[in-house]
Amino acid sequence: MIVDRMGIIAGQQPGLSETAAPAKVDSELARAHGIAALVMVFVSLLFGIVASVEMWKPDISGGIVALTWGRLRYDHTQGILFGWLGNAFFAFLYWAVPVLTGRAVVSRRLGQWIFGIWNFAVVLPGWVLVLAGFSQPLEWAEFPVVVDAFVVLALLMAIVQFLPPFFAGGVEDLYVSSWYVIGALVFTVLAYPMGNFVPEFVPGARGAAFSGLWIHDAIGLYVTPLALAAIYFVIPAATRRPIYSHFLSMLGFWLLFFLYPLNGTHHYVFSVIPMSAQKGAIMASTLLGVDVVIVVANLMLSMRGTGAFPRDLPLRFVGTSTVLYLIVSIQGSLQAQMAVNRSIHFSDWVVGHSHLAMLGFATFAATGGLMHVWQNLPGVRYNRRAVAWAYWLLLSGVVLMFLDLTAAGLVEAQLWNSQAPWMDSVRAVRGFWIFRTATGLPVAAGFVALLIGMTTGERRAA
Amino acid sequence: MLRKAYLVAGVGGIGFFAMSVLLLGVWPGRVLEEETRAMSPKHPLALTASEQRGREIYSRDGCAYCHTQQVRTVDADVARFGKPTLAWETQFDYPHLWGTRRIGPDLSREGSLHSEDWQFSHLYAPRAIVPDSVMPAFPSMFDGAPDRPYQDARDVVAYIASLGRARALAEPVVSKPSPPPSLDTAADRTRGLVVYAQNCSGCHGPHGEGDGPGAAGLSPRPANLSAHEYSKDRVAFALWNGEGGTAMPGWQTLSRSDLSAVAQIVRGFHVASPEPAPPAELLALGRQVYADHCAQCHGEHGAGDGPAVNEIAVAPTSFVAQRASVAESLRVLRNGVAGTPMAPWNTKLSEAELAAVVNFIRGFYKT
Repeated sequence: MIVDRMGIIAGQQPGLSETAAPAKVDSELARAHGIAALVMVFVSLLFGIVASVEMWKPDISGGIVALTWGRLRYDHTQGILFGWLGNAFFAFLYWAVPVLTGRAVVSRRLGQWIFGIWNFAVVLPGWVLVLAGFSQPLEWAEFPVVVDAFVVLALLMAIVQFLPPFFAGGVEDLYVSSWYVIGALVFTVLAYPMGNFVPEFVPGARGAAFSGLWIHDAIGLYVTPLALAAIYFVIPAATRRPIYSHFLSMLGFWLLFFLYPLNGTHHYVFSVIPMSAQKGAIMASTLLGVDVVIVVANLMLSMRGTGAFPRDLPLRFVGTSTVLYLIVSIQGSLQAQMAVNRSIHFSDWVVGHSHLAMLGFATFAATGGLMHVWQNLPGVRYNRRAVAWAYWLLLSGVVLMFLDLTAAGLVEAQLWNSQAPWMDSVRAVRGFWIFRTATGLPVAAGFVALLIGMTTGERRAA
Repeated sequence: MLRKAYLVAGVGGIGFFAMSVLLLGVWPGRVLEEETRAMSPKHPLALTASEQRGREIYSRDGCAYCHTQQVRTVDADVARFGKPTLAWETQFDYPHLWGTRRIGPDLSREGSLHSEDWQFSHLYAPRAIVPDSVMPAFPSMFDGAPDRPYQDARDVVAYIASLGRARALAEPVVSKPSPPPSLDTAADRTRGLVVYAQNCSGCHGPHGEGDGPGAAGLSPRPANLSAHEYSKDRVAFALWNGEGGTAMPGWQTLSRSDLSAVAQIVRGFHVASPEPAPPAELLALGRQVYADHCAQCHGEHGAGDGPAVNEIAVAPTSFVAQRASVAESLRVLRNGVAGTPMAPWNTKLSEAELAAVVNFIRGFYKT
């Protein structure tokens, strides 16, 4: 019964538990995606750190054009989006889908193809092609068009792989995580072509309107739903208590899918795009903050008083992710407002915002989901001490980086609004840029600790 | 029952997504298309093959991730980078290069800001030109020196030179001067001499006579600062905004104290010599000649604001803001000013008329 499945995850029926699920879980594919995620996060991190050094020591590229800032920055964000978060989410899905539905995913062979395409036809060739000078100057869409085609293919295959188990039992009793998984896979494949293909054929400002949609949908329809699926999954599993309100979880889900796509134009406030579209997007951005308050309240109330937060590391990750989600979303609503956007747009403030979203909210949710899987997956090693280190290192890194970049953005905004020569704004934030590179080091150490946590320690029985 | 609710919500979800595409993608696209049709020049210049190749290099190397090509409709943007970007300006951009981050300045109108050799040197070694720049150097696009560019560098610089061209061609008189800051009259003379020597003497010469080493190639020639009295505001305006249609750039990057100091130097070149007071009938003739021949450009009251002012690229002299010596005025009337619409008048006016109008216009000046 589907109700039972929901009961399992909600911890309502002590007779059934997640430990009954592994029979249906393809642990080999989960392991492969989990390790691939960690390998790829190191490469993405390396791109990011070198690019950050080049902002205060530009000549370390040594005149080699493949190592210049622009190309490294393209590879950094695409690597995080696909290599790290994509693989981490896939690993989570190979565990979560069978637990949520009581059914195995469609096919192991299909899974091997998805793994191969995602890593060896998307991320690796994408990185190499960008460094070799084949790319698109489109945000969150920098991999060249030929790679984009494989992304769409892999997403379609993921729909075939993961969605049939949900529909096999009817949708009326789906737990909220299931809704988020379904929503993420369906809407990502719809949204992706808008940012990656349309601007190549629709010029200038008209293309930018579509770009704006994808910039926001990449985080809103792909990253956020899968992150929330993991958070909603781990909380009841760790606390052994049902979530606070299934009604609020559904309200939050539908509001998210209604409001997120309407946000995109807030990346081009004060542009030539019609003002009514800008204002509509700003309004949707404001309402989205309200939706996030609903979602986060439900999640916090679900964790309240269980005492599980310090005990259970995956819960600690997703719980922290929940708080960061609130902060980054309220910040997002705020900076979409014209009065704020006027000054901080184009500055490091926005870079801080996106690190709080991707390295904070999304990475902590993905890591929580991944560690939850790792704790339970047969045949893997799990080192709790190392994972605890990873938590503190990643958290200190992202918080310091966020504060540093936010301050740098305010300095830039202040100088841009003055009559100071442009170069003053570059000179003024140099110190902030050096410190930003330094904040990348605890982040790197945190991922090393995470890898140690996943490859050392006691091995679970296969 | 519940199943139907989810069905409704599911359709609604897809519907909202479709709505977002229609409202924020397709509909704005149609508005922008109409705007482009209505506002674009009839035959806008597309990029040349070389500029197009340059654009591809600009795209692949992430230039747009530090340099936006989108002037927003906010004061700070307009003050720095000019008029806000219009839809038609981007009609050939496949894909757009608006950008969402500015580390370097916006480049929408860069084409007219720096000379070609400046661009080559900057691309080759940015810090050689702008010491604190953090732009990546692209020496691999050159054969070992900034003046030996390979085709890639030529293409990139050709593309940069094209930025803002279409807008400039469509609206030749686009630069709207901004009010200069009020300059301090009690400025440091020693500092002023340094600023003048570093920034001005190349064209205007060591004594302000318009005969510096850089003057020869310029048309119109640099002003002879020693032959004019300038009001404080006149100098401040020229320093702040430059002189449209001439090689004189604005110096807004200098601090107010440096501008004040150099303005003092500029105003000090003129040594006033007493001129005899002209008789009333000479002034009456001068008034008549002025109204017939000069007011069209120089304005009824000599403020350089005649009805024809919008049709000419170089602003007519305001006699209110500056006063030439009698000899200088006669020289200009006899020779015209090469490189400007000011023609010689000695073939059209008698010597008496020339003398009359020269004396008449001196009366406009207000310190």
